[in-house]
Amino acid sequence: MSEPQKQYVITLSDHISIQHDPKDTVLESLEKQNIDIHYHCREGFCGACRSKLLEGEVDYTTDPLAFIDDDEFLPCCTKPVGDIKIKIEQ
Amino acid sequence: MKYTTFNPKRTNPLVEPMFFGNPVNVARYDQQKHPIFEKLIEKQISFFWRPEEVDVSKDRVDFQSLSESEKHIFISNLKYQTLLDSVQGRSPNIAFLPILSLPELETWTETWSFFETIHSRSYTHILRNLFADPSPIFDDIVANEHIKKRAGDISKYYDDLIFLTQLWQTQGEGVHTIDGVAYTVTMRELKKKLFLCMNSVNALEAIRFYVSFACTFAFAERELMEGNSKIIRLIARDENLHLTSTQHILNLWIKGKDDPEMAEIAEELKDEAKAIFMLAVDQEKEWASYLFEQGSMIGLNKDILCQYVEYIANHRMSAIGMGQPFDISTNPLPWMNNYLNSDNVQVAPQESEISSYLVGQIDSEVNADDFGDFDL
Repeated sequence: MSEPQKQYVITLSDHISIQHDPKDTVLESLEKQNIDIHYHCREGFCGACRSKLLEGEVDYTTDPLAFIDDDEFLPCCTKPVGDIKIKIEQ
Repeated sequence: MKYTTFNPKRTNPLVEPMFFGNPVNVARYDQQKHPIFEKLIEKQISFFWRPEEVDVSKDRVDFQSLSESEKHIFISNLKYQTLLDSVQGRSPNIAFLPILSLPELETWTETWSFFETIHSRSYTHILRNLFADPSPIFDDIVANEHIKKRAGDISKYYDDLIFLTQLWQTQGEGVHTIDGVAYTVTMRELKKKLFLCMNSVNALEAIRFYVSFACTFAFAERELMEGNSKIIRLIARDENLHLTSTQHILNLWIKGKDDPEMAEIAEELKDEAKAIFMLAVDQEKEWASYLFEQGSMIGLNKDILCQYVEYIANHRMSAIGMGQPFDISTNPLPWMNNYLNSDNVQVAPQESEISSYLVGQIDSEVNADDFGDFDL
């Protein structure tokens, strides 16, 4: 059993804010709040969930293979390392 | 420049451009100029599968129960997919291998093409199960006007690049007259052909498969043709990886991270590249009309399918800096996500019977808060 990790806040560009559960990826957190987001592989190789990271930083749980631009990230294989602000595609 | 299968000159593949530098000599993978292609090779090989692992025998019974319009949809899609993978199983090898300069990209191209041949083999596997003699289906691929029309646009850019490369490799740069037609061969012209070809391949991998994928998964949503759906999921997973590779190649050029001349060409041919993508979108919509000309199927019609093509196109085009030309922001077929999720891809025959296999699995992770309402 690991130490309880700090919970961070994920804010969407349309001002909805959700609590991130440390054991979830960003994608899983969004889904738990019934926020629709486009995804395919959930492993970082297809790029379907590619979203904008407007503020904050994320850590990758797996090496992403999909093309992502400098201001983008993949919700399916990242966890926030602080509060983040993002813009997603539905 | 004459092609050589082993360039004896000492080269440094860490400084070569992806294309039109020195030919590759030693196939070494301990170092890469662009490590992404090495990672894609590893990933693709880890996906290895064989069509025979998927049991499609139940599909034969399902197929007999389909309406005539549904049979038309199912078979037409298989024909079109057979065409696409016939092209993709050979063309990246023939067009790109002679002009590649990086060992990791060379092997990626070969790995990519090889997987397209697995896809072709799986269409034969599916058709052989449905028909005692699948020949009329295969024969129609080169006779059907709707398929032929699109085949031309898909192979054109490959053929242009291959032909100009052959002239360059045998005659060198200059103006060469073949059968009364004068062709100007310059490095700039070759690179332009390469850029357009890569855009055409990218559009193919990005959207051309998705109309037929949607139809396949719409059947599976009704628990029909599930063996076929299982195979198409495996194909879709591979195609996602192929698309990732063409997006990387295009972006390496566009962002000036490879050959600086390719960055200039990307800017110069921006509109033409976008037009290739838009034509592919239009052709896919036309295909949707043809599929549903004899009637629709439950859960899917022409309009929803066209919206899905636009939705996917927006996403794929924005990945290579083409913006989002279509006014659609929500996914009209949200259930497609479940079929394209690699967690749900399983090949074991006993599992292909059960579409909801993953639902009953045990969550083995135990956290402190799981004991929250537990009193002693």
